Amino acid sequence: MLRLFAVQGTWNYERMLGVGMGYAAEPLLEDLKAVDPVRHGEAVARSAEFFNCNPNLAGLALGAVTRAEYEDIPGPQIARLRTALCSPLGAMGDELFWAGLVPALMGAALVGVVLGAGWWAIAGFILAYNGIRLWTSYWSLRLGMQSGMRVGSAIGASWLPRAIELIGPVAAFTIGAALPLVAAWYLTAFGWPAGIGAAGVTMAGIALTRWFAPFLTPVRFALAAMIFLVILRRVGV
Amino acid sequence: MIELSPEVVIPLLVWGTLVGLDLVSVPQAMISRPLVAGTVAGWLAGDVHTGVRVGVVFELFALDVLPVGAVRYPDYGPATVASVALGAGSYWQLSLGLSVALGLVLAMLGGWTLQLVRRSNARAIQSRAAALAAGESSAIRRLQYGGLLRDACRGFTLTLLGILLAIVLKENARLDEQTHLALTLVAIGSSLAAAANGAFRSSGRSARFKWLAAGAGAGVLLAVLA
Amino acid sequence: MSIVLCRIDDRLIHGQVVIGWGRAMAIDLIILVDDQVATSDWEQELYRMAVAPEIEVRFVTLADAALHMADWQSNGKRGLMLTGDVETMATLRTSNPEVVQRINLGGIHHRPGRRERLPFLYLTDQELRSLQLLEAGGAIITAQDLPTTPPVALKSLA
Repeated sequence: MLRLFAVQGTWNYERMLGVGMGYAAEPLLEDLKAVDPVRHGEAVARSAEFFNCNPNLAGLALGAVTRAEYEDIPGPQIARLRTALCSPLGAMGDELFWAGLVPALMGAALVGVVLGAGWWAIAGFILAYNGIRLWTSYWSLRLGMQSGMRVGSAIGASWLPRAIELIGPVAAFTIGAALPLVAAWYLTAFGWPAGIGAAGVTMAGIALTRWFAPFLTPVRFALAAMIFLVILRRVGV
Repeated sequence: MIELSPEVVIPLLVWGTLVGLDLVSVPQAMISRPLVAGTVAGWLAGDVHTGVRVGVVFELFALDVLPVGAVRYPDYGPATVASVALGAGSYWQLSLGLSVALGLVLAMLGGWTLQLVRRSNARAIQSRAAALAAGESSAIRRLQYGGLLRDACRGFTLTLLGILLAIVLKENARLDEQTHLALTLVAIGSSLAAAANGAFRSSGRSARFKWLAAGAGAGVLLAVLA
Repeated sequence: MSIVLCRIDDRLIHGQVVIGWGRAMAIDLIILVDDQVATSDWEQELYRMAVAPEIEVRFVTLADAALHMADWQSNGKRGLMLTGDVETMATLRTSNPEVVQRINLGGIHHRPGRRERLPFLYLTDQELRSLQLLEAGGAIITAQDLPTTPPVALKSLA
């Protein structure tokens, strides 16, 4: 399972997570070598082909495909299973982790930092995130190994769809709560006129990066505004 | 102002490298989140307070990023570490703007270096295509260790460059106090815009938007009470 | 409403489609045009799982898509039509050029014979020529993986 934490170690545009999946599959396929060396070679080659999904759910694909290899499922069918699994494991994993758990926990951590929790807020974020993802990785690999080609039904009947429904609103709420708190945390140190100025920058940033998206990203806007400001100060405004 | 001596720089370099690796390659434990990277960098540089202030600004920028698929995004981890190196030991109200400017340039550069590593990984894979097709486990292992090494080098180089730039800026940036303050306000305003944009985009027109609004209401209430 | 995005992506339905474009464009219908998936229950089950319950997903063959495109254009939903390859999208464009006016190249990945044009876009010379022909016929084609990244015009991919 530890190898799954490096599943993106060789991320590239040709095979994406493919080689990382091959690396994670190596010990799982080891027993196949004694049973059927030819099949083992084919399975290793297949394991490193193009694959893409959220890394935290990669265990489901790894487990399911490994089991299918041991069950002697025809190679082309395994290839189709891998391709089809990219879809739900990518979309569900991104929803659950990148658009859900990470912003939910980060929003809570930011609220904690602003309210004075300091290191506790940051340690809480790290422990909560890693606790959940360690357990998810273990669960994913085990469910994949148990289900093989029936992994789709197993995912559908699991806690994943419900968790995705629940985490979205939590993430939106904590981020919503964090933003005004963080704004006040910074701006109370400067007084009203400066606060109004910063709020003006925020409004301009939201509007301009929307109007001129995707060319004007928030990073480009910030750098452009800073350069503009320094030039204004240099010419004595 | 804290002097960037070897006792400070070496731990920051190690931390920046780990943070760079964490973003994509290993272990994705979220130590690369700017809030975490910045706070620990602040502790290593002897100024946790500045570390947190810098980390929160970059965290707001990072909340605009959705790392799905092959999309190109800034790498805020090593950038945050270098920004903290620049700002440590100064009043954050005065140093935050310039630190964030340095960090944003590095973050963009970091995004570009990620592309370089990915292309380099692809070339390595092409050179071992025959071994992969033959199912040689040893080829997979070599590629994997090579990929990790390349990404570690990327994180190290980015942090080193950032710290060198921080040293140059510490000694040579000639801006008056008002400009420093104004830069800080622009940095804070822009970071809030980035986070708000990310939140609006993630919410879309779904029920999630109501939860965002409810959270914002609760946040305003807490801010008034706190 | 109508079909608001026609996308070619060999990963079919995934995070970029559902979260990236789906949310930004308030999509409530995804039409996946793929002859293989349209006849495979277990694959449909997997692809459906990638999508939130409030978004309708239809799996159709190329022939069915050609027949029903006009209906989808006027059924009151904001639709995203997805194919896994250039050839299928080109056929759809031929069937109904009014619906398939703008084509988004979202992700076509490495295979023998394909050359990298962008990090997320590998095309054979034949595929590029097909796209150029579509553009010469009036289609507007850009490569863009997410709404937050800049679109790249087809002519700069050659």
